[in-house]
Amino acid sequence: MLDDYPETLMNIEWHNPSFTPGNSDFDIPEYSSRASMYGVGGIPHTQWNGVQETVGGYANGNWQAFIGTFTSLYNSMVGEETPYEISINGYAGSEVSYDVTISMDADMSNSNQKVDIFVVEDNIWSYWTGASQYHNARNVARDWLTTQDLTISTAGESETFSGTFDMDEDWNADSIKIIAIVQNYVSKQVYQVTAVNINDMNPDIDDDGILNGEDNCIDIFNPGQEDYDNDLIGDACDPCDNLVYILGNLNGDTDENGIPVIDIMDVLSLVDFLIFDDSYECQDPILNINGDEFVNVVDVIALVQSILNGDN
Amino acid sequence: MRYQKFDMRKFAFILLFTFTFGQRLDDIDLAMQQLESIVQTASRSSQRVFVEDFTGLQ
Repeated sequence: MLDDYPETLMNIEWHNPSFTPGNSDFDIPEYSSRASMYGVGGIPHTQWNGVQETVGGYANGNWQAFIGTFTSLYNSMVGEETPYEISINGYAGSEVSYDVTISMDADMSNSNQKVDIFVVEDNIWSYWTGASQYHNARNVARDWLTTQDLTISTAGESETFSGTFDMDEDWNADSIKIIAIVQNYVSKQVYQVTAVNINDMNPDIDDDGILNGEDNCIDIFNPGQEDYDNDLIGDACDPCDNLVYILGNLNGDTDENGIPVIDIMDVLSLVDFLIFDDSYECQDPILNINGDEFVNVVDVIALVQSILNGDN
Repeated sequence: MRYQKFDMRKFAFILLFTFTFGQRLDDIDLAMQQLESIVQTASRSSQRVFVEDFTGLQ
């Protein structure tokens, strides 16, 4: 099935430490924590998108009898709408640096949403003494790199998780993949998954000469890395670069010359925020007009006075 | 002081004009909402499937 659906089906083999090929290094410490997450008892146990499972039924890797069950599970899940897309890029050497970017095209709460990043090795042809047979192990778990909280929750937002790991000398570098998933740690639902061979990663997506991990706009060509407000987000991709969203210009409007306009509409935006508690990313740093600890009606008064006085 | 006589025809015209364009704006708004929904649905990401296989041989 993995070869039949290479773009839409990804797997990871977690090998029970008690049942691995002779002299293999297939078992890793993370097996137990991942298994306990799903309450894995007997094996084989498959967990589909974190929420559907099969237990037992195919000894010694002869899972062909389960092809009907597996195909049915796959078909029930593939192509469902999800707010997430994942891209994995980076650079592969003796040390691998990776950038996993999660982007959203619909809103979803980030409560208990986490990003897991794994390293697997594909196509390990190994002899299993207990079963007296050779077996092609697919996407064997080599490392569970990290689990991070996903902070984004709104369509159009993206978040990048970067890191490095060392290649083990026993791993076949041509078969190493990084797998990234978005999973809810309460429901266990996996909302998206992407896998990429480390040799297929792009070290410089926008081809501006700055490697992804150091680029302040990963996917926009900006070799100069200009960053007016020093917020580590380059001007080329920073919607809140403090050129337009200056203090008081809450609705972000400008005149024909691109100069921010602060007027009664900004007062209404501030009132909207106070009533509905609904602001967007660029507004947050510019709501507090009088610079005290709170955003309240005093800021409205300060903004009105500022406009009437022609301060702007 | 001159008083203008209340012109019912003008009032009716203004009322009709306002009502007509009010409805037209609603139509435009509705069409935009439908278009937004269609575009969002068409561009929505598709779920791929992740299988975790807890396994072993002996």
